[in-house]
Amino acid sequence: MEEKDLVRSSKEGNEEAFASLVKKYRVKVFNLAFSLTRDRDTADDLAQEVFIKAYFALPRFELRSEFGTWLYRIAINHVRDFLRKTGRMKRYSLDDIKESSIPQEDETMKKEKERTEEHRKKIIHRAIQVLPEKHQVILTLRDIQGLSYEEITKILRISPGTVDSRLHRARKLLREKLAPFLSQKGGNHELQEG
Amino acid sequence: MNCKKVEKLILRAFDGRLHQGEKKELEAHLKQCPRCWALQEEYQLILDTLRKEDFPEPKPYFWERLQPKLKEEKRYEPWMVWKQWGMRAIPVSLLAIIFLSAALIFLGPPRVEMEVSQAFSQSGLLLLQNQNMFQETTI
Repeated sequence: MEEKDLVRSSKEGNEEAFASLVKKYRVKVFNLAFSLTRDRDTADDLAQEVFIKAYFALPRFELRSEFGTWLYRIAINHVRDFLRKTGRMKRYSLDDIKESSIPQEDETMKKEKERTEEHRKKIIHRAIQVLPEKHQVILTLRDIQGLSYEEITKILRISPGTVDSRLHRARKLLREKLAPFLSQKGGNHELQEG
Repeated sequence: MNCKKVEKLILRAFDGRLHQGEKKELEAHLKQCPRCWALQEEYQLILDTLRKEDFPEPKPYFWERLQPKLKEEKRYEPWMVWKQWGMRAIPVSLLAIIFLSAALIFLGPPRVEMEVSQAFSQSGLLLLQNQNMFQETTI
C-alpha cells in the first residue's frame, strides 16, 4: 500500500495502516528527538508522544503536504515544547566537558583515536545544546539529520533565504563556542580540552 | 575577496550551493590565505563529526508499547467531554421546554388590544356602518 493510502486508512481509524506508518518513521522521529535531547530514554518517550499526537491529529491532516513533513513538524514542535518545559536548552555548560580524561599514552592508537573522536563528538553536541533554540533546530535538521533545504523550508515554514542565513549563523555560532577547544596541532585541527 | 565573504562561501560550499565562478574564487582565496584555510578545516571537522553521528536504536517493541497508549488516549479524547455534557444537556433542555410551555398555558398569552378592523369581519363592519352587507355581491 502506498503512503497516501496508508494515511487515508489511518484517518479512517485503521490501526494496522497507522502501525505501518509508525514502522516507517519511528527511527527518524526517534533520531530527531535524540539529536536534541541526547538521551535515549527521553528520545524514546518523546517519539511515542509524537505518534500519539499525530494519531489524534490525523483527522485534521488534509494530505496537502507529505506525511513525513507533517510528522516532522509535529516532532520538532513537541521536542521544542519539552525542552522549554524542562529548561534543558541551557542545561549544559561547556565547562562540564573538561571532566573527561585525556587519553592515556599506554593505550593503543586505535583506542586513542576512538576516544578522541568520542570526546570531540561530546564537546560538539554540548556546544550545540548551549546555542539558541532556532539554531539548535536548524543544525539538527541539516547537519545531523541531513535534510535538504527544501524539506527544511517545508517543516519549519520558512523561506530558503531564511534557512540559508539561519544555518550560516548557527554554524558560525557553533564554531565560536568551540573556539577554546579548537587548536592547531601539526597541521591538523583537533578539538582539545581547555 | 575579503575573508568575511570567504567564510560565507566556505559554509555554502559544504551544502554544494556555490556557482562555478564562486567555487573558483573560493579555491583561489584559500590557496593564498592560511587563515581562511584553517577556518575551512575547522568547519570541516565540526560538520564531519555531526554528519557521522551514530544514533542508538529506539527501544524495542515500539509499536507494541504505543498501541495501548493510543487506546488509553482514545478513552479521554476531548470530544468525549463535550459528548458527556451534550448528553446531560438533552434532559435539561426538555425540562426547560416543558416549563416554558406550562407557563404559557397557565399564565396565558399576553393581552393585546385589537384593532376594530381585526375584531369584526368585513360584513360585521358594514352592518355597524349601517350599510347593506350584500351590496358588494349585487350585480
